[in-house]
Order: sequence, then C-alpha cells, then structure tokens
Amino acid sequence: MANANATETSIRHQMNVIFQSVFDDPSIQIFDAMSAKDVEEWDSLSHITLVLAIEESFGIRLKTAEVGGLLNVGQLIALVAARTGRS
Amino acid sequence: MSPGNGESRAAQQRALWSAAKDALAAGDHPAAMRKLATSITPQDGFQAQARVAKLFALLPLASLGLRPIKMAILANSTVDHFADVLRFWLATAGLEAEIYIAPFDTTTQTVLDQSSELYQFKPELVWLFSTCRDVPLDFAAGSNPEVMRTKIDAAIARTITLWQPLLDRLNCIVIQNNADIPAHDRFGNMAGAAAWGTRTALRLYNAELAFAATASKPHSNVVVFDLDHLASEFGKARWIDSRYWFHSKHAFSFDAVGFVAHAAAQLIAAAKGLSKKCLVIDLDNTIWGGVIGDDGLHSADGIRLGADAGADGEAFVAFQEYIRQLKARGVILAVCSKNDLENAQEPFIKHPDMRLRLDDIAVFIANWKSKPDNLREIAATLNIGLDAMVFVDDNPAEREMVRQQLPEVAVPEMPDDPALFIQALAAGRHFEAVTLSADDLERARYYRENAERQVQRNAFLNSNGNNGDDSSNNLAAFLDSLEMIGEVHKIDDANNINLPRAAQLINKSNQFHLTGTRYTEAELRALVSNQEYLVYCFKLRDRFGDNGLISVVILKQSDSALHVDTWVMSCRVLGRTMEEFIFKVLSAAAFDRHCKIITGHYIPSAKNKLVSNLYKRLGFDAVSMASTLGNDSLQSTRWQRAVTTQTSTDQSLHPLQPLQSSHPSLNLVTHVRTTTASDL
Repeated sequence: MANANATETSIRHQMNVIFQSVFDDPSIQIFDAMSAKDVEEWDSLSHITLVLAIEESFGIRLKTAEVGGLLNVGQLIALVAARTGRS
Repeated sequence: MSPGNGESRAAQQRALWSAAKDALAAGDHPAAMRKLATSITPQDGFQAQARVAKLFALLPLASLGLRPIKMAILANSTVDHFADVLRFWLATAGLEAEIYIAPFDTTTQTVLDQSSELYQFKPELVWLFSTCRDVPLDFAAGSNPEVMRTKIDAAIARTITLWQPLLDRLNCIVIQNNADIPAHDRFGNMAGAAAWGTRTALRLYNAELAFAATASKPHSNVVVFDLDHLASEFGKARWIDSRYWFHSKHAFSFDAVGFVAHAAAQLIAAAKGLSKKCLVIDLDNTIWGGVIGDDGLHSADGIRLGADAGADGEAFVAFQEYIRQLKARGVILAVCSKNDLENAQEPFIKHPDMRLRLDDIAVFIANWKSKPDNLREIAATLNIGLDAMVFVDDNPAEREMVRQQLPEVAVPEMPDDPALFIQALAAGRHFEAVTLSADDLERARYYRENAERQVQRNAFLNSNGNNGDDSSNNLAAFLDSLEMIGEVHKIDDANNINLPRAAQLINKSNQFHLTGTRYTEAELRALVSNQEYLVYCFKLRDRFGDNGLISVVILKQSDSALHVDTWVMSCRVLGRTMEEFIFKVLSAAAFDRHCKIITGHYIPSAKNKLVSNLYKRLGFDAVSMASTLGNDSLQSTRWQRAVTTQTSTDQSLHPLQPLQSSHPSLNLVTHVRTTTASDL
C-alpha cells in the first residue's frame, strides 16, 4: 500500500511537470478535480498537446476513446497508473 | 543540432531552451532565435516542435529582420498545431508569417465565396492543404480502365477548379498538396499492381496534378507540394496516427509535423526568392578521403577516391556526383579549404575519379585563413549574401566556428560516414525552387565568369600605386577592358519572349529593388498590353561571357511625367555602370515621349539599402519623404529629375559621353556600350 502511494506520488509529480511545461506556467499545481475550466489555456487544441506530452513522457499510448474522454487530472493519473503498471 | 542519443540530447535541448529564454529576457532576440534554431531538427517529435513554437511565439519578430508573408491555409483537416510549428520553420527560412486558417472543412466554400474572410485577409500565398481523403478514388476489382481514367480526370478537374478563382482574385501563389497514398489497402499488393488498383489510380492522379500545375497559367504561380513523397520519406507506416484522425481530424501524425513544416517552409521561401544560391565545400575528408597535403595523389595510401580506394572511395565519388548535379541545376559551387592552393587543385586536374573539375568551381579558395574570413571573401567575390550560402565541412570545429561567427550561413551537420553525406545535405532542402528557367541552369556559369572578372578587377586596381586618381582610372580601365555590350529590349505583346524571365527577376530581386513591387507573369502580361506602361528588359554581355537578362524597368507615363514604377537589377552586374546605362535609356525614352520629368520612388525594405542612394547618384532631386505605413523608422522617398534635350536618344546611344544634367558636377559615365539602336 505504501508502495502504491509512492508510485502514485511520482506519477503526480511527473504529471505536474508536464502541466507546467505544456501550459508554460511554473506556478501550476495540479489536483484531482482539476479540469479544463481551471486552466485558462486548456482548450481542445492544448488538450491534444497535453495528451501527446503524457504519452511521450510516460511512454504509453492512449486509446482513441481515452484521448477525448479524460476530463480531469484524477482520471489522467489513474489511467497512467493503470497503463504503466505502477498502480 | 545532431540527432544524438536520447537522454543527453533531451538535456541539451532543455539547456538551449533555457538559454533562449535568457536571451529573450535580456532582449537579445536574434540570439534567442539562434538558440531555438540550434535546438531542433525537422525530425524531432511533436513535443519538441511545440515547445520551440511556443518559445518562438514570445519573440518580437520585428527584431529578427525577416521578410513578412501573409498566407492562408485551407484544409479539410485540422492544421492549427501544424501552423504554429510552421511559423517557426518559416522564420528559420527568413520569413515572418501571418497565417490565416480557414474554418475546418470549408475549403471549397471559402474559395468560391467572394465575400469570405480569405479575400478580406488578402494572402499572397494560399496553401490548399488537401490529403488523400480529399481525393476519393476507389474502384471495384477489375474496373474498366476507361472508367477509371474518366474518374481520375474528374478528380483533377475538381482540384484545379479552385486555382483560378484564387489566382484571379488574389494574385497569389497557390500551393496544392498531392495525395498522400495510404499505407493500407484491402487489395494489398494488387492495389498498386492492378490497372484498377487504388494506389495505381492515386499515382496517376498525382502525376496528372503535376502536369495540370505546369500547364496552368501563369504556371509559376501554382506549385504542387509533394505530400506523398514526404509521407514516404517520413515512413508511411507511421505517417498517419488514426487516433487523431478519429478524435480531432488530424490528417497526419503529430510526429511528422516538424518534418512537413520544414519542407513547406523551404518551398515557400523558395517561392519568395529566399532559397540558397551557393554551396561552399571543404575538400579533405569532405569530397575525398584523407588529406591531400599529407597523403598525396597517387601513392598506395594517397587520398581515397574511386572504386580502387575501397567502399568509402566510392561514397566520395557519389557525393561529388551529387554536388556536380546541383551545379548543373544552377547551384553555384565554391571551395573553401585549409590547404596550399596547388595541392588543393591537383586532384581536380589530375585525379581520374574526380567528378568535380576546376571549371565547376566559381570561386576556389585554399589558404590558411579562417573559414569565416574565407566565406566572407567568397560572398564578396560572388556578390551574394552570406544568407545565400550553404557550407559543407566534415570538421565539427570548423562548422561550429562558422555557425558562431556567420549565423546567416547554413551549416548542415555532417555525419562521420561519407556514405551519408548526400542524405545529410539533402535533408536541409536548401536548394528548393518552384520553377527553373533557362537562366537558372546557366547561373553557375554566370557566377564563375563573374569571379574571373573580379580577379581581373583586382589586378587592375592593384596595378598602380595608392594614388586616388590612379585607382579610379584603373577602375575605368578595368571596366573598359570588359568590353561590355548592353542590350535593351522592349517587352510588348509582339515581343514577349523575355517576359517569363522578367517576371521571375522582379519576384526574386530583393537588394536592387527600389520599390519591392511584385508582379506575377499574368500581371506583367497585362501591363505590357497597357498603353500607359512601358516595360524594358536589359541584357549585358562582355568578353568573359553573357550575363543574360539582368534588369527590368517598368515605366508608367502620365502626361508629361514618366514614372519608374519598378526597377530591379541582378546584383551580379553591380558596379559595372549598368545603372547609368539604363538611366540613359530611360532618359531617351522619356525624351522621345515628350516627357518633362522622370519620377521614381524608393521604398525601403530590410534588404534594399543598396539602392537607397541610387536616384541621388543619378541626379534626381528628393521631392518628398513619406512615412511608410506602420514603420516610422523606414522613410519612403520620392525623386524626380528633369528631362533635358541632352538626354535624347542620339546622346544615349553614345553612352561614353558624359550626360548633362541639372547637377553640373554629376558625371554619369557608363562603360556599357550598345551596338544596336533599339526601338524605344
């Protein structure tokens, strides 16, 4: 359990770096319920940039349905955890 | 930057990006741009492209001295991310792009609706970004070839109907994608093997499209973008990421975005006259293996060149052959080598496997000075800008020194295996062109002859002491020794054989261009039919050779004034008193038309400072200064000069006679003679 928390924390950390880089804002601090309405620049175009960055950074490929279906940070982290086997 | 190994490369990139940010913060925008350009290659993935595009968007572009271009992209797929990356790559090619993207999937409506935003935007270039999805050619097994051809013709007709409205209403360049033939087909191999196969049909479509673009009038204004070839180069298997087609209608993979943007930027720059003109090559270990000064020509361990010298000897021959072919299509070649001249030239004269010969090389420099100094010398001798040069050297230290000291020069990263040299040079797409005229094919010869003139000029100028009078006498003696003959040709409906080259010269000239005006071939054709306009072109030959058509002047007569609407001249004939010759012809034309004054404008651009004083030098008076819209620092000036009887036709045809003018101190002497009294 402690181990799972540790990997979740590392994913969360890596995810935060991605968000800061994609939205070019070092002050961004992600939280589970965070969604497009919380980040000014998070629109349908930057959503794709975000997804591509996550794919590259974690070395995973999202399925077509997942690309558009991920609505908040919590879902993104859960998906990455499941896909990287880090959960 | 060389595509190196993953982690260290990513770290290097991050370091360059943060250096770019620092330079931006310090207000050194050119340095920031250089850091960004160094940090990335077209093959890099989308993350890096997007990052660079984002940093680039923070740069105030006015500080980079780029040439503005307004362009539109019309696509039935999503191109927004692509456009951001394209803007960056256009900047690396010298262009500051303002890009209008038509709403998704409205290509046809946008073109046909005269009130669409496209026409309000008035782009000078419209990119019809179609893909194979816009070319629905699909046939049942065993379809009749006749039916198939009819359908291909119909598909071509559909594509090209959009060209004419754009050309008519916008007078723009149209870039049309061909069809990126899909990697998968239900018939497998048969799709490209059977007469009715989909790949067969799309290949025919693509070939027909090239013919249609070439046949369109004026053909230089429709350019096919060979998307299918790019997709193949990139790799068809990873060209399309279907997820992002289904999700958001992105027609090709994000990882190909940099690759396509770079190729497009080089083509668009070529259409705007900004492609490279000259390839400068190092010798030792660049066009042969080994060091000529140490290894010699013939010994068993002499330089490696040719099949007898092993596999890399063949690779060097192949690279030379590629360079020779570049020269044959109009690229000027120069040599810049750290060597003694005699050693360096010996293989060119004696080695049986050399593909390059001394007369292929316009300027041959072999000495022990620094390469940046020698590159400056080559540029000065050829009278071209440093930004028109590509420098190829196997030595990373030399490349780095040139990059640092002469950032305008393109310096491709060369691999350490000569078998990969062609690929490395070709990847930069430095020598793209949208048309090739007979003149382009002759260009290398012009420049070689010019370099010979330069040598003669230096010999004349150095032949006498340091006395100022002597040197101007020497210059006059040099110019006379060239035995220059100028030709004037009026272009009109009956005599328009020179018209395509004239249009090309107007559109490619940047430095000797007083007004920056651009006329397409069609517009120029309309002008020569218009009674109010006079269009002249000028040719110049001398004892070293024929320079071909080197100047175009468009004059507009209104009552008693003859106005110089456009005056462009090739920089390869600068300093030859051709300007004075042309002016005398203009004066004679004005006199014959009973004009009292000749007027002209100088509209400054980033590149035409060269002619800011031309009218003054020719005895014109400045009559007004007008601020150019949007840029207070650039002053547009208007000039006029009275037409006097001394500038009559008779006088002008004796061009060595000094021309009388309202400025008695002016002594407009030309050393260009003319043999024929042209009909002015």
